[in-house]
Amino acid sequence: MSEFLLEILAEEIPAGVLSQARSDLLRGLADALAAERIEGTFFAHSTSRRLVLFSRDLPEVQEDHEVESVGPSVRVAFDADGRPTRAAEGFARGQGVAVEALRVVATPKGEYVSVRKIVEGRFTSEILAEVIPTVVSRMSFPRMMRWGDGRNTWIRPVHSVICLLDGLVVPFSLFGVESGRTTFGHRTLAPGRIVVVGVDDYVARLRASFVEPDAGVRRRTLAEKAEALAAEVGCSAVEDSDLLDTLAHLVEWPGLVRGSFEAAYLDLPEEILVTAMREHQKVLPTRDATGALAAHFFAVADHTGDPKGHIARGNEWVLNARFADARFFWDDDGKLPLEERVPRLARLSFQEKLGDTLRKVERVEALADRLARDLGLADAAPRVARAARLARADLVTDMVREFPDLQGIVGGLYARRDGESESVWQAIYDHYLPAGADDSLPRADVGRVVALADRLDTLAGFFALGLVPTGSRDPYALRRAALAVVRILLEGNLRLDLPAAIRAARGLHDVAGATPEETAASLHPFLLERVRFVLERRGFRHDEIESVLTTDCPDVTDAVERVAAVAAVRKLPDFAPLAIAFKRVQNILTQAGVTTAGELDPALMSDDSERQLAGDFFQARGILDELVGARRYEEALSVMASLGPCLDRFFTDVMVLVDDEAVRRNRLSLLAAMRDQFFRVARLSEIQA
Amino acid sequence: MDFQTLILKLSEYWASRGCLIEQPYDTEVGAGTMHPATFLRVLGPEPWRCAYVQPSRRPADGRYGENPFRLVKHYQFQVVIKPSPDDIQDLYVDSLRAIGIEPADHDLRFEEDNWESPTLGAWGVGWQVLLDGMEITQFTYFQQAGGIDLAPCTAEITYGLERLTMFLTRTRNVMDIEWAPGVKYGEVRRQDEYEVSKYGFETADTDLLRLLFEKFEAESRRCLEAGLVVPAYETALKCSHTFNLLDARGAVSATERVGVIKRVRDLAVGCAKAWVASREALGHPLLPRELPASEAPMPEAEEA
Repeated sequence: MSEFLLEILAEEIPAGVLSQARSDLLRGLADALAAERIEGTFFAHSTSRRLVLFSRDLPEVQEDHEVESVGPSVRVAFDADGRPTRAAEGFARGQGVAVEALRVVATPKGEYVSVRKIVEGRFTSEILAEVIPTVVSRMSFPRMMRWGDGRNTWIRPVHSVICLLDGLVVPFSLFGVESGRTTFGHRTLAPGRIVVVGVDDYVARLRASFVEPDAGVRRRTLAEKAEALAAEVGCSAVEDSDLLDTLAHLVEWPGLVRGSFEAAYLDLPEEILVTAMREHQKVLPTRDATGALAAHFFAVADHTGDPKGHIARGNEWVLNARFADARFFWDDDGKLPLEERVPRLARLSFQEKLGDTLRKVERVEALADRLARDLGLADAAPRVARAARLARADLVTDMVREFPDLQGIVGGLYARRDGESESVWQAIYDHYLPAGADDSLPRADVGRVVALADRLDTLAGFFALGLVPTGSRDPYALRRAALAVVRILLEGNLRLDLPAAIRAARGLHDVAGATPEETAASLHPFLLERVRFVLERRGFRHDEIESVLTTDCPDVTDAVERVAAVAAVRKLPDFAPLAIAFKRVQNILTQAGVTTAGELDPALMSDDSERQLAGDFFQARGILDELVGARRYEEALSVMASLGPCLDRFFTDVMVLVDDEAVRRNRLSLLAAMRDQFFRVARLSEIQA
Repeated sequence: MDFQTLILKLSEYWASRGCLIEQPYDTEVGAGTMHPATFLRVLGPEPWRCAYVQPSRRPADGRYGENPFRLVKHYQFQVVIKPSPDDIQDLYVDSLRAIGIEPADHDLRFEEDNWESPTLGAWGVGWQVLLDGMEITQFTYFQQAGGIDLAPCTAEITYGLERLTMFLTRTRNVMDIEWAPGVKYGEVRRQDEYEVSKYGFETADTDLLRLLFEKFEAESRRCLEAGLVVPAYETALKCSHTFNLLDARGAVSATERVGVIKRVRDLAVGCAKAWVASREALGHPLLPRELPASEAPMPEAEEA
């Protein structure tokens, strides 16, 4: 068993790519070695400047293996007397074997002579030297670069390479750097040369030079330090797993420094303070015992401490400066109310063909007003329209220019300060929600309607232009927008005729492209795809979902209620026979090409089972109309299920496709009438018994 | 440390590392990168080591001299070295020592920050350098300029001089830093800032600016046709600045914007191509004579 160590020391590698780079390197080398029949267990480390790979169980040499070389065909290799020809002798000589050692093998092309030889395994070190430069130089990163003479491309310039197998250098050259046993310590704390002989020695020497190679250790250390330093001032660090990950990748030594900003800034909105700390300064905010934001924070430092207090003071200065900036924006933006900023949106592009943001706002305002009325929220319509009008005005404030992540939130805060009503400012604050599958919805109806109108406007515009997501390509995040529409409708329990809403949204765009009908025809199914996704996440079965989504579903909230009813009712004993019977109904009707039910004539009903079914159905029809009208789908399905046995009997006793055309048509009409009635809830034929 | 001492020390340091000290360009630019000593010199095979101060103008950043950080005109210290040497980061860290920062006493980090200029058809990869949480430098390996892929590659280091002085002296307002002993930055520049802000936001004659843009653009093309690269580039810079003024004035609509940026980029791309051709025609005078271009070594830096 051999011990292997690889370290690539580069200029600072972006924190965001380190995890991936580490696993790509590990996978890449393990695969390349496996292809050479060398197996081992690999471990990877990384710091902001290093990628490290090691193993303790590599074989010293590749296993021996047998290779077969195929030579000339038997016809060429032997003469008529079966003696080897010159061709055979030549081949044997070339392979370094006696001509007697040739054997005959059958191939799809006929019989050939061949030689089997045992090839001795090569030294692992030799193979590593061949494989590593290829694996490393083929690694791919989101944004690669060239440096120096411009001949090489990687994530950052490489400065040194350690590659050892059992303490001996595996010699190769990577981007013009020769591998060896030398690296360097921490950039500022121990910049000297380090010479290493093996893995344990390497790790020990790095740690002595203020480099912790294990990102997991760095992350744990940071978390522990945050907890300890917070306790000293009676606070707790705000939990932030993503930020801790990033911080651990930004350093070689996990230092953490506590600082505090001027308490006077605590009267700025918390959203702004937290964003400035987390996103801009990458420092951890703290909360006091009551849960309120405290004026302490923790900054990562690639350092063992803060020998002269510079690090804490520097971070404090920067944070205070940022807050001073935010305070300036907060005050200065206040001089011009949102209302007066709206016309300036004409300067912001929305989409090349769909015009500027002012036009978007005007469309959303009109659409939101209409949707509010359609959704039975006519009382709220003026507030909805008002919120829609002001919703994007924060894009032309300095605060949002500085804190783009706070778009919407800043608008909401400014609207509150401008004296807008609570439902209006909250709607502005919330209207970018939900941003994903697990994000929360706008807190109230006004915000939900604005959010709906905003997404529908975007979707209708892009679909009208034919800019529809394909495969994994969704550059305008339209799937996310569609999911937001669906979630707001479903979780907000809002009932909307989607095709009508889409046509209205399309009608407000004055761009050339698909007609309102065409837009609805492509966008509505796209939205139903998101409904399918939501229902699958909720645990409904495939056939339950399909039975409803294959019917007409203008109102997705209604559709989901029907799916829930199907799921609840399918357990009833009568339901399975009904589903089976309806597969027959559907088959017969399809076979006979019946699309609509004709007039039923009781006089043509000759059989008891037929009369019984018709009678029961006529009786049930009134009740079903009432139940379906009241969206009492579960009860409606139970009533349908109660007709199951009767339908079964009908199929047992009665021949539908009889020769007498009038009778046949009458029977088909009965079945078609039942189908049309029942499929208003779900296509029962889709349900697996 | 006051503002001018910072400039002097940085100039002295980089001169001692073999950099030619250029002077600020005498046409308005939005960033030190637009100085021909960067934008044109990064092109082609000739080695180049250069440093200079460049006043940079961003009309939209105007705050009438009232904001503690934002200015229409601020000063950058720019270093460009081609090809980027292996020890460029060490050279940079030493430059901090030269301005009185002992790195071991501080937290010094290089965080990913890439750079792109649509108007110049240029982009690069690199970091913002953070000292105790403060961004003090922008560090970029140029990958493309004027739409041309670069090899050899240039390392560009840009120090924001006002911010750096503020940070080193823990000053809260840019107007309060000392420019020279006894003279504050605000005493020198506050009224300028007020006037250029007022001009940019309220007074500038947009009709005239539009006309100027058209004329400068046409002139730049005419110069290009006449084979006059530097005048073509200077008039392209005029276009860029005129566009920035119009933009600050709110006179450029969203749809128009993309088109205007492209027009400036087309000029920049034309200039870059013409420059490459012109240097080639001159036989790349800065290449060491005896060697072919591909094998040209880096000029050695002198030890301080």
